[in-house]
Amino acid sequence: MEEILKVDNLTKSFKQSKKLFKPEKNGGVKVAVNNLSFSAYKGEIFGLLGPNGAGKTTTLRMLATLIKPDSGNATINGKSIVSDKEAVRRSIGFLTSELKLDETFTPEYLFNFFADLYGVETNVRNARKTQLFSKFGINEFAGQKLGNLSTGMKQKVSLVVSIAHDPEFIIFDEPTNGLDVLTGKVVTDFLQELRAEGKTIILSTHIFSLVEKLCDRVGILIDGKLAAIDSLKNLTQEKNLEDTFFGLYESVTGEKV
Amino acid sequence: MKNVLTIIKKEFVRFFTDRRMVLMIFLPGILIYAIYSLMGNFMSEMGQPDIDKDYVPTAYIIGLPEGLSVEGVFKIKSYENSEAAKTDIYDSKLDIMVVFPADFKENYAGETKPEVKVYYNSASAQSAFGYSVAIALLNELNAFKINSDVSEKFDLVNSESLAADILSMIIPMLMFSLLASSCMAVAPESIAGEKERGTMATLLITPVKRAEIVLGKIISLSCFAMLSGFSSFIGVILSLPKLSGGVFNLSSMSYGVGDYFMLFGLIISIVLAMISVFSVLSTLAKNVKEASMFITPLMIVIIVLGMCTTFIKSSSVAIHLIPFLGSGLAMSGILSAAASPVGVALAIISNLVFTAALTVLMAFMFKNENIMLKK
Repeated sequence: MEEILKVDNLTKSFKQSKKLFKPEKNGGVKVAVNNLSFSAYKGEIFGLLGPNGAGKTTTLRMLATLIKPDSGNATINGKSIVSDKEAVRRSIGFLTSELKLDETFTPEYLFNFFADLYGVETNVRNARKTQLFSKFGINEFAGQKLGNLSTGMKQKVSLVVSIAHDPEFIIFDEPTNGLDVLTGKVVTDFLQELRAEGKTIILSTHIFSLVEKLCDRVGILIDGKLAAIDSLKNLTQEKNLEDTFFGLYESVTGEKV
Repeated sequence: MKNVLTIIKKEFVRFFTDRRMVLMIFLPGILIYAIYSLMGNFMSEMGQPDIDKDYVPTAYIIGLPEGLSVEGVFKIKSYENSEAAKTDIYDSKLDIMVVFPADFKENYAGETKPEVKVYYNSASAQSAFGYSVAIALLNELNAFKINSDVSEKFDLVNSESLAADILSMIIPMLMFSLLASSCMAVAPESIAGEKERGTMATLLITPVKRAEIVLGKIISLSCFAMLSGFSSFIGVILSLPKLSGGVFNLSSMSYGVGDYFMLFGLIISIVLAMISVFSVLSTLAKNVKEASMFITPLMIVIIVLGMCTTFIKSSSVAIHLIPFLGSGLAMSGILSAAASPVGVALAIISNLVFTAALTVLMAFMFKNENIMLKK
């Protein structure tokens, strides 16, 4: 299998705010991601599962070159997230609720704008826009300002804009958040289509059913460390994913759930 | 460069599809014209009354020759010395002072014409009237020179009331205020606003270089601020004749093409410098509110620097290198027709260097996750 993503001992700490500062415990520093290493391969959906504060979003932000790791490195298609940021940015798509689109623009304008920034040729861009807008039913509201659209409509627009440049490696952070069941299904079906096209997808979520439905392999992240990493099949041999997760959580943190 | 243009285009579309923003460009100019015109009308109604046709000017005359009578023409006042009389002219308590030379009698009608000095205050309608009466009388004699000594100042007018000085004093201050307000209106919204709304991070994950994003922002913001500044400037220029109560009108502003070029270049460079410094502060801020909080004190400093040009009279052109202060002095110089082209050039270069340095600084700030992603 072709290795697309290689994460090698990624570590990231943050200074804590005064409210959370407990010098006797951690010296005012929160280690969000601690020596994280894993790989993802061409044509697979890798699920990153973990509770809030486990370091999922920090990991994804480092992979998207939005923040720098304190130590360690990761390569996407052989390009380093530390030393070759622009090449990495060019080859990835990143969808997260943290990244917003300007609501004064229309979906059509936003798609064109971001495709232009990624250097997509006009004819390629237009063909891709027609295909994606049609698949997600965006044509009906393509000329309306984003601010006038519903949450589900906005999420659809964010999704198509994030892959306007047809990236090989895609990071989806909670892609079905805020979507109704019908739109949610359109998105999950689309993720499967992308996998079939040979795209590599990192999917961060806390929805077990979504992981069970979509992911080929799963990494369970607790307190910034990878508590388990295996194929979905192996992880759910004895127990279902939810029970496996809570068992790991209790053994790592010592907290009874 | 293509990415810079794409970002500029996006900023323009965003700006011109927002009715509030478009209104912001033209509204200040219209409001300034309306308010200043009203103020001007009000002030002219409250101003000095016209001189009564029977008005007899007051005069202090030194060395009035025998045989010359001014009875009925002037009301004569006495002073202990000429300095006290000059002070009263300056304060509009005396209209004119006429000084005949001691050798007047000897030289009168001779080849060497004696010189008569007439002191007056052109800002006072009564004094100006008295001066014209005196000149008319003396001219009739056609036997001596009047105020021929160019090294001496006879018009004791308060210099601040002269039209050119009004322009050179008011315009830099108004322009600095208007341009700073315009920059203030666009910079926080475009940079801190994007951070606050989460749209900046979306831009930062694209392969566009940080410097290109910064350049695109600064160029487009400068254009908006410039449009707004010019709208305000036109409002000021159109309302000045009314505001100044008819002291001068637009036709009296006889500037050359070179002056307009210098003024234009200077305004562009000032806007660039202002936008850059406000953009740096907006980049540091978490949201629009914080950006406004950072910028407001600086804006006051800039406006005060614009006002300082009235009081600072430096002979050194190097002073033009000080950002904003140098620009104010250069603008004041152009408007009072006393501009040093070297000074104006130094002010423009200083602004451009200042802008370039801040643009580089901003590009570095855009690479800093603690600055760009803090909440």
